[in-house]
Amino acid sequence: MGSLILHFQKTGLYTSIQDGGRYGVQHLGIPIGGAMDQEAMRNANYLVGNNPDDPVIEMTIQGAEIKIEGGGQIALAGGYFKGTLNEQPLPFYRTITVKDGDIIRIGNVIFGTRTYLAVRGTIAEEKWLGSHSAVNIYMESFGLESHFPNGRMVEYQTPPPIEKRLIERAKHPIHAECAIVRTTSGPDFEKFPIEVVQEFYEKIFTVSNKYNRMGYKLNEALGSFTSNKESISSGILPGTIQVTNEGKPIILMRDAQTTGGYPRIANVVEEDIDLVAQMKQGNELKFILQGKNDQ
Amino acid sequence: MKILPYGNNALLIQFSEEIDPGISNQVIALYHALKRTGQFKYLIPAYQSLTAAFDSDQLKFTEAQKLAEEHLAILSQEIYEPHHLVIPVCYEPEYAPDLEAVEQITKLTAKKVIELHCSTTYHVYMLGFLAGFPYLGSTPKALHCPRKKEPRAKVPAGSVGLAGMQTGIYPAEAPGGWQLIGRTPLALFNPEIMPPNFLHPGDLVEFRAISKDEFKLIKIKVEAGIYKPEYKHG
Repeated sequence: MGSLILHFQKTGLYTSIQDGGRYGVQHLGIPIGGAMDQEAMRNANYLVGNNPDDPVIEMTIQGAEIKIEGGGQIALAGGYFKGTLNEQPLPFYRTITVKDGDIIRIGNVIFGTRTYLAVRGTIAEEKWLGSHSAVNIYMESFGLESHFPNGRMVEYQTPPPIEKRLIERAKHPIHAECAIVRTTSGPDFEKFPIEVVQEFYEKIFTVSNKYNRMGYKLNEALGSFTSNKESISSGILPGTIQVTNEGKPIILMRDAQTTGGYPRIANVVEEDIDLVAQMKQGNELKFILQGKNDQ
Repeated sequence: MKILPYGNNALLIQFSEEIDPGISNQVIALYHALKRTGQFKYLIPAYQSLTAAFDSDQLKFTEAQKLAEEHLAILSQEIYEPHHLVIPVCYEPEYAPDLEAVEQITKLTAKKVIELHCSTTYHVYMLGFLAGFPYLGSTPKALHCPRKKEPRAKVPAGSVGLAGMQTGIYPAEAPGGWQLIGRTPLALFNPEIMPPNFLHPGDLVEFRAISKDEFKLIKIKVEAGIYKPEYKHG
């Protein structure tokens, strides 16, 4: 077994380690976390022959500058970012062989919001409560790492290489600036007047500047919504859409807190959470209601 | 009691819509019963609801619903043996930035606010908002007060606050809008130990007023890992 170290010269905006998520500790108030775009994580892992839920490096809007120490195989999948490997264009969606001293520069995003870097092998980092996923920013004060500092090194034990793989363009997800997002009715659906539900499924919403790993706040308020008193706090899942007192929907994402008191109008279907994870400020989305029989 | 589908792969089991220790104990008993089945990916007990998420490749909604119904039918509250803990809190002004505001809202003196806060046994309804943040209730009616209009950007770890009929403790520095009336030197969440949380849903909690000196002494013990929790019985 060899080894490979990703040496982060410049960390990028919100670079962190993420995997399939931290399950089974939500009764303690610990968010699930995990790669925002789970399909992109699985694609990146496939390209290097790892397990689908293995930890990957998530980069958001602006990527990192990484020096390779040792050697092995890597791959990128998800949002498309400007990038170079030793000054040559950096390919996405295929296995790449890297060697000692190689420099990877991942710049600004072109399509989508987040991209994933997988390294063939086993990450040499400790799990916390069953997962490698970084915690949300509120947990930094427990001494846990949320985002990378400059100079961070991530080491992998690398098994022998696999035959190179690629994912054809026809199979790449499209990260458009507008999307139709499928939902199921939320647990508080029946509490909303029909006018509000109608408006929710007719309006085109835009992503506000408040969007992150915890949630996506949308700009448009449901005009027909009048807030009643705060409801009793109850469980939250990634993909839950709450309506705030001002009538604006929030889509809760992977790092969302585990409980909340706003009424839950709908839930984004699992696969479409990945789609939302690739959206950013100003992008448009329209919700559709999926019947239970379609599941 | 209602069992609703929640997203593609979870159930929401809703008990009657009120905040009551008896209902909460049913939620907690069901939480422990469903956890024992090993069939659920994660469970979130809240005031009067339990969110139960499963792997839809392993379990269908109707099967998960059946499991919940079976366990509800034979629900026993003896599954969880609650601890009865005493939490030391320093209510001195430097740790209680909103005590004056609470005096004005409640029309009580600071002394009376502290006395009331310490004279009640609270039920831990749930942990949420932040890892290990306990929602405790209910406070005596005279202590009920609204959240602050403008939440603070940074509430220090250990802060004890009031909101509505609840009292809670911030396990870490975080933004928050609760009215802060004191601070505990205890660490309510320690990621390096298992389980990392000091309190569990269903536990009983009382507060004990301490001086600044005792606060410092306990804090040293907590940091050195030699603090022993104070139990009400035994």
